[in-house]
Amino acid sequence: MTLTIGKIASLSKVSADTLRYYEREGLISPAGKSEGGYRLYDRDAVRRVRFIKEAQHCGFTLTEIRNLLDMRTSDAACCRDVRRVAVEKKIQLEAKIKAMRAMSKALDRLIATCSNEGRPLDDCPILAAFEK
Amino acid sequence: MKIELFYTPGCEKCADNKDALRATATELIPDLVWRELNVLDELDYAVEVGVLTLPSIAIEGKVVFAPLPTCQQLRRELVKRSGKGA
Repeated sequence: MTLTIGKIASLSKVSADTLRYYEREGLISPAGKSEGGYRLYDRDAVRRVRFIKEAQHCGFTLTEIRNLLDMRTSDAACCRDVRRVAVEKKIQLEAKIKAMRAMSKALDRLIATCSNEGRPLDDCPILAAFEK
Repeated sequence: MKIELFYTPGCEKCADNKDALRATATELIPDLVWRELNVLDELDYAVEVGVLTLPSIAIEGKVVFAPLPTCQQLRRELVKRSGKGA
């Protein structure tokens, strides 16, 4: 059974533009083309798009997702390889969270220096701090 | 000197060559503290020392090797740090 890009988009709740982007990135590929030249996909494309969306929710980039999709069909890979990738992603997310907390604290300090909202811009301590 | 190997259980790449690396470090560093840490048990610390991929080796609290080095690469690094001749 083959599906048009519009049908895939509707089944997987992503736009046709997103599907074309996935195709350019090598994440999905059409099974063939209709007589009119339209892309036709098989059911596996729907599964792959759902896989991509779920993996994105866990913070994986499209490049990483392509590797995960390759692992899924690789005889050489097994579950522990996927687990290691997931653990690495968790560490990377934790590192980002730590960096963002530090940014948030830095902003707290800047906000605290600006107690007078009526000051002219020339006296703005937040702008001044960035110009140090 | 403190050397820490960060791993995740079940990871083959993490176990590969581990014993040989430990033996290399033990041979070169008299006051060696060798620790093997499951990142999920020591997540905050792993982030602090800069672990982003597995396995990784940190020396004195900073990631130096990711993935694991060969014994020769580790030896070279330890000789450099300890100021010993090759």
